[in-house]
Amino acid sequence: MNAPLAHPVVGSTVLDVKGLQASIGRVPVLRGVDLNVGAGETVALLGRNGVGKTSTLRAILGLLQRRGGSVAFQGADIGRLPAYKLSGLGIGYVPQGRGIFPVLTVEENLFLGLRSAPDPELVEDIYTRFPRLAERRFQAAGTLSGGEQQILAIGRCLMRKPSLILLDEPTEGIMPKLVAEIRREIAAIAKRGVAVLLVEQNVRTALALASRIYLMERGQVVHEATSHDLTTDPSTIHRYLGVAL
Amino acid sequence: MDIVIALTINGLIWGLIVALIALGLSIIFGLLDIINVAHGDFFMVGTVLGLVIAGTTGFWIALVLVPLLGFCLGLVIERLVIRPAISSASLTIVITFGLSMILQEAVRATLGPQPRRMAAPVEGTIHLFGIDYDVYRLFAALFAALAIAGFFLFLSRTTLGTWIRAVRHDRETATALGIPVTLVCAFTFALGTALALLGGVIAAPITTVDFRAGIDILPVCFMAVVIGGLGNLKGTVAAAVLLAVMEGVVSAFADPTMARISSLVVMSFVLLARPHGLFAGATR
Repeated sequence: MNAPLAHPVVGSTVLDVKGLQASIGRVPVLRGVDLNVGAGETVALLGRNGVGKTSTLRAILGLLQRRGGSVAFQGADIGRLPAYKLSGLGIGYVPQGRGIFPVLTVEENLFLGLRSAPDPELVEDIYTRFPRLAERRFQAAGTLSGGEQQILAIGRCLMRKPSLILLDEPTEGIMPKLVAEIRREIAAIAKRGVAVLLVEQNVRTALALASRIYLMERGQVVHEATSHDLTTDPSTIHRYLGVAL
Repeated sequence: MDIVIALTINGLIWGLIVALIALGLSIIFGLLDIINVAHGDFFMVGTVLGLVIAGTTGFWIALVLVPLLGFCLGLVIERLVIRPAISSASLTIVITFGLSMILQEAVRATLGPQPRRMAAPVEGTIHLFGIDYDVYRLFAALFAALAIAGFFLFLSRTTLGTWIRAVRHDRETATALGIPVTLVCAFTFALGTALALLGGVIAAPITTVDFRAGIDILPVCFMAVVIGGLGNLKGTVAAAVLLAVMEGVVSAFADPTMARISSLVVMSFVLLARPHGLFAGATR
């Protein structure tokens, strides 16, 4: 059962998912996911391994065959659009494992899939914010460290001027000193009015970044709460995730 | 000694043509994950179209027209034959085997079963390393080398080439970034087909135009792809040239069957020592 919405979303609803169902082959992985994200809001999906967090992101993007439910982006149904068109609408995705193309250069990764010439001001802005990418712009992306690749994946997302970013485990396998930088960057993105839907195994990172949390079990959202409520009452986290804060 | 030099040069030239065809096979395999058994027959269709079009409009127009026709043929085949079966690797082998038979029988029905020869567009010989050598063979090597260089430039310098390299690596993330993966796959299949037909028209004046020509070239292309490291395009080119030169040298001392056996032996040893191919791990 979904708990009632704890707080209204920050801005207008950017992503509204209702009753989303999906399966891999014949195995159902999502059994009716309901969630929404507002402009400038960071929302996290938490749950144990295999409950359907990554599948939720993939189904929203059309990368996983949807079997039911609806996905609306800025009020428009995107359920029938081919998956490759969603990027052009302003939906960015940073997949688990970063999704960097190691044989392409940093700059090729950054501009990949853009339908028009990259906006020079945006490129300048990204290179100013991430000077390590500027230094390595003509280097194969496979030579970057894990943290640098994650920064590249986030930078690549920003090149599309997204209204919504789906982030899948952005701090997984990253050196601690870069984790703080990535967390700062995600917070900065949300401050600019971008809606962020975050999948995270690290509960502390999720609570620090997100204002609202959806807890998932067996392909469904089973609880919704604010980060504040979950921090003050850690028993909910313990009940659903089996970990102590 | 002269014969060894001549056969080595022949092997090198033939190797460049094989490399061109094998590149098509390799890029189709790398992107679509299908083993295209009809790829040798695309080469054969290239020789036939080269013969027919060169006979009416001249060789140079055929050299431009045949790969363009190959590209269109590839687009049609991808849409009607490959795409419906793409989810099953074993089905694509069966379906391309069927396509191979259809292409061979179509050529036999129209052109007849007798092998034909096509006149070289450039006559004459040149004195090279102490032997008189057909000028056209050198032209053929030049065309093949230029086409291979053009193919790699296309892959590395154009947006579409970058998309192909991205889709080869991770089609899901490429889709999420806005790349129309289905269209990129169709284009790549058509490009691979065009390369095979281009190889055919280049090779037509130095080989026989025969409906069975694809059966002979397909195993060499597969060996080049396997020895080069599956999906490794530069490795494929290097392996194709190595195999053809080796077969050329061996055929100076033994019959062509023994030369082909030597290639198979080399492939077996390479796979025993390096199961992922000679150039696995190199930049793709």
